[in-house]
This record gives sequence, C-alpha cells and structure tokens, in this order.
Amino acid sequence: MRTARFWKELTKGIIVSNPVFVLALGLCPSLAVSGNLDNALGMSAGVLFVLLCSNIIISAIRKLVPNMVRIPVYIVIIATFVTIIGLVFQAYVPSLYESLGIYLSLIVVNCIILGRAEAFASRNGIVYSIADALGASIGFMLALVIIAFFRQILGTGGLSIFGFDLFTLPVLGDHPMLFFILPPGAFLVIGLLLALFKHTGVLKE
Amino acid sequence: MKDRLKEFYPVFFITIIVFISISLLALTDSVTAEKREWQTEQKVMDMLKDMFPSMSDYTLEDDVYVLYESGAVTGYAYIAEGKGYGGTIDILVGLEDATTIKGISIINHAESPGLGARINEDAYKGQYSNLTITDSEMRFNGGKIDAITGATISSQAVADAVRTTALEKIEELFGKGGDENG
Amino acid sequence: MNDNLFVVFVTMALINNFILVKFLGLCPFFGISKNIGNAVSMGIAVTLVMVIGSAITWLINHLVLIPYEIRYMNIVMFILVIAVMVQIVEMVIKRTNLTLYNALGIYLPLITTNCAVLGIALINDTGDYSFWTSLVAALGAGAGFSLVLIIMSGIRERLDTADVPKAMKGLPIAFMVAVLLSLAFIGFGGIV
Repeated sequence: MRTARFWKELTKGIIVSNPVFVLALGLCPSLAVSGNLDNALGMSAGVLFVLLCSNIIISAIRKLVPNMVRIPVYIVIIATFVTIIGLVFQAYVPSLYESLGIYLSLIVVNCIILGRAEAFASRNGIVYSIADALGASIGFMLALVIIAFFRQILGTGGLSIFGFDLFTLPVLGDHPMLFFILPPGAFLVIGLLLALFKHTGVLKE
Repeated sequence: MKDRLKEFYPVFFITIIVFISISLLALTDSVTAEKREWQTEQKVMDMLKDMFPSMSDYTLEDDVYVLYESGAVTGYAYIAEGKGYGGTIDILVGLEDATTIKGISIINHAESPGLGARINEDAYKGQYSNLTITDSEMRFNGGKIDAITGATISSQAVADAVRTTALEKIEELFGKGGDENG
Repeated sequence: MNDNLFVVFVTMALINNFILVKFLGLCPFFGISKNIGNAVSMGIAVTLVMVIGSAITWLINHLVLIPYEIRYMNIVMFILVIAVMVQIVEMVIKRTNLTLYNALGIYLPLITTNCAVLGIALINDTGDYSFWTSLVAALGAGAGFSLVLIIMSGIRERLDTADVPKAMKGLPIAFMVAVLLSLAFIGFGGIV
C-alpha cells in the first residue's frame, strides 16, 4: 500500500498536475531557458536538486516550524539550496552556468518550489515529499524539453545537446525561423501548448 | 516566563535557520572556491591561447595581458566594452604590435540571436585578423569592416570599441617614448 | 552600463522590458484584471519595492557582503530584504487605502515571489552597477513593467467580450496577446 501511494504522489506531478502546463507555475524560467535543449535540461537539473532538498528538509522540520514565520523559513531554506547549486554549477559546468544566467538564481522565486513546500511538504512525511518532488521535477523537465524541442528545431533548424549536433533538418536548417528563439516565439509555443493541453482535457478547468 | 519563551520561539527558530544556512553556504563556497577560480583562469587562458596559439605564458599588468612565447613578448590583449544593441559587448582584443590588431574574441554579448549575435561568427570576427587599428571602422565610414546584414548597430559597436580602446591602450603601452615595456 | 542614466532607464524599460523580453514578473501580467486603476496601483507598488529594494540590497551587498567576502549570501539576503519590504508595503497600503488593499488581494504578498523584483537585484549585482545606476535601472524596469501591465489590462477588457475558442480561453489567449506585444517591443531595440 505504501509503495502504491508513493507512485501516486510521484506520477501526479508528471501529467495530471504538471507544474507548467496544468498548474501554470514556473512560467518565467520556462520561457527564458526553453530556447535550446541544453538550457532546458540544465535548468531542470537545478530545479530537481532544489525541489528535492527543500522538500526533504521542510518535511523533516514541519512539526517544529512556528506558523508565523513559516514562509520566511521556507524561503531561506530554498534560497540556500539555490545558492549551493549555483556554486556547484559555477565550479563544474561553467558554460551552463553562464548560459542560464540569473534564471538559475531565480529558481528561488519559482512558484513550483514554494508551492510544493507549502502545499505538500509542510503537511506530509519525508518519503512522500520525496515522491512529490521527483514527480514535479520530472513534469517540469518534460514540459521544458517539449518546449525546447519545438523552439530549437524551428528556430535553429536542428537539435543539439551538450555540444553534439543531433540532427539538422534539410530546408529548415538553412533558413530557420528565428522568431522561435526570440521572446515572442517563446510566448507562442507555450501558449499553443497550453491550449493543446486544455483542449485534450488534461487541463482541468 | 514560559510564555515569554514561547513568544520568542519564532524569532529564535528563524535565527537558527539563517545560521545553518550561512554555515552550509560558507562550506559550499570554500569547497568549490578552488575549482571556480580555476574555471575563470581556464577561460582566460583558453581565450588567449585561441588568439595567440604560440603563447606559453602571460602576465596581467594594469588590465592588459602581456603575452609571452618562450620568454619574449609576443603580443598584448585586453578586454574592451562595446555599446551593443542589447547591452554591453565584452570583446577580447589582441594586439600584435603598436599598429596591428591580431584578432578579436567575443566574450559576452546580449545581442539578438540570428542578427547581432552573428558578431560571434568567424565571418565577422575574422575581419579583425591582422587589421591595422585605424582600419577598424565600418566600410561606409572609410574603414574595412563590413557590417552584418540587419545588424549594423552591433557590427559598428564592435568596430568602434576595438578602434578607440586600441588607440588608448597603444598610447598607454607605447606612448611613453615608444618603450615597449610601457 | 554605468554611464548615461537616461540610456539605462530606456534600456531597462523598453529594450530589455522585464515582462516581454526578459520574461520576469509574468504572474501579475497574466492575472491582472481589466481594471486599469488596479494595474496602475500594482505597477506603482512593484516599482516602489524594486527601487527601494535595489537601494537596500546594493548597500548591504557593497558594505557587508563584498568587504567580508561572503558574496555567496547574496541570494538569501536579497530575498529576505524583499520579503520584509513587501510586508511593510502591505501594512502601509492596508492602513492608508483599504479598498486598494482588497482590490490587489493576493497579488500584494505575491510581489515577494515576483521574478521581477529579485531579478532587478540580481541584474544590478551581476552587472556591477553603481548605486545610482542601480536605482535608475530599477526605476526603468518598474516603469516598463507597469507600462505592459496597463496595456494588458486595457486589452483584457476587449478579450473578455471577444469570441475566443474554448481551448484558448484564459491563459492561452493571454499568451497570444503577449506574442504580439513582445514582437512590437522588439522594435524598440536600437533607439539608444
């Protein structure tokens, strides 16, 4: 029974309660870093680390936190992990760190993290909080990768990951639609995907 | 007394949390410090080596990198700032000698992808290889630099920055009676 | 960027517009009502927090963090300063204008998690701006943010009566509007 619940908490974050397409949280980074796969994956890794760590800690201390200061406490905890992953990225993957820029630090105000902390980790045990964090992170990564997929292919004519060119399309490769890696393109791709999710009924409204 | 303590608890709690946070961060900072510094040095080294392949060592004097090859000065490099379309463009300018630009590298820019960002392409950057400093001007202004189609501002920002800063640095380095060891 | 303050202002407000170009501060943008008055108030509140926040964070950064070599505390410090400031602004508004307080509702405390506010602090920090440049940058960013909010609230009114397909209702159509606004703002590039 326990494992069943674990899976339930985990899988809900992937499709049904997908943070980006269903809950419409974490839109800022989604638009900003979804221009190419490298950024999308890098940002997802950062969010996974912060969400996992903060969910664990917040769940662990949930009975000790006085209600009055709970939001500032959560924020400090989240900010600490964001700083840690920033320092680690700076040391070991500097090109990704530069590519993500301030958006990595902005994970601290990403509604997904604070949202999960407030809605779940503060009320549930550590194990389930881990499941919740994993699910939301995977959902976030899925969303970002899908968006980046469209934006990078249409905007640069091909896909590349960690420096390796996966493929380049014949016509599009020579005349990519620049629009898609520019800001308006981001709004367009995400807007249409949101509409798609809504239309297929996955989005509950 | 107990009530007093109870009132204090929230403040006490968050202070503890902040304390733990500071400790954790200080720890991470010191653990990663060496690697991070190495990364910045590596980046500079890579940039300089790219431009001066035969370089073996460098020193930094007054914001100018003096490059050596087996003990002898082989060139100079410094970072110039250009006023681009989307913000500051950081350009690494390599100087062969008092009149010639060895080449440029774009370190940082916020130009539009597909347009101004093309200043980072070899086709544009290559124009600065072995260029006389005074020729670092747009063709329509009498120089030898061709603009990128649709990105005149970015193209000109780089040309202007390179030219003006090069003239300044030359004056600093050689202006004092033409002594190379400025 | 430390030179011409007018250029800094215009760049932050238009060329690097926080909502339409840098994707910062999107929550209030998508949630803003059709009441232009509320949009103006929200814009002013956010600008206030951004400017004062920039001042305080700059001071703490340059007087404490950098000299004592604890620069890594910047994110924690920035967000705490912002949280405190928003609390204060909330209290002030509650006391001086209760209708406004109720109208802004949950969006007021949400200014704390608004990417725009932390965003400007981070931009000032990574760009190494001087004190006055930081303030002007914050002012410009806030002005640009408010401008877009006001434009959106005006459009919102028309959207509500337009014949929008069911799947596009709500967030998706707002994104479509953002596409057009963002495209338009690209035209500002190069004016300085």
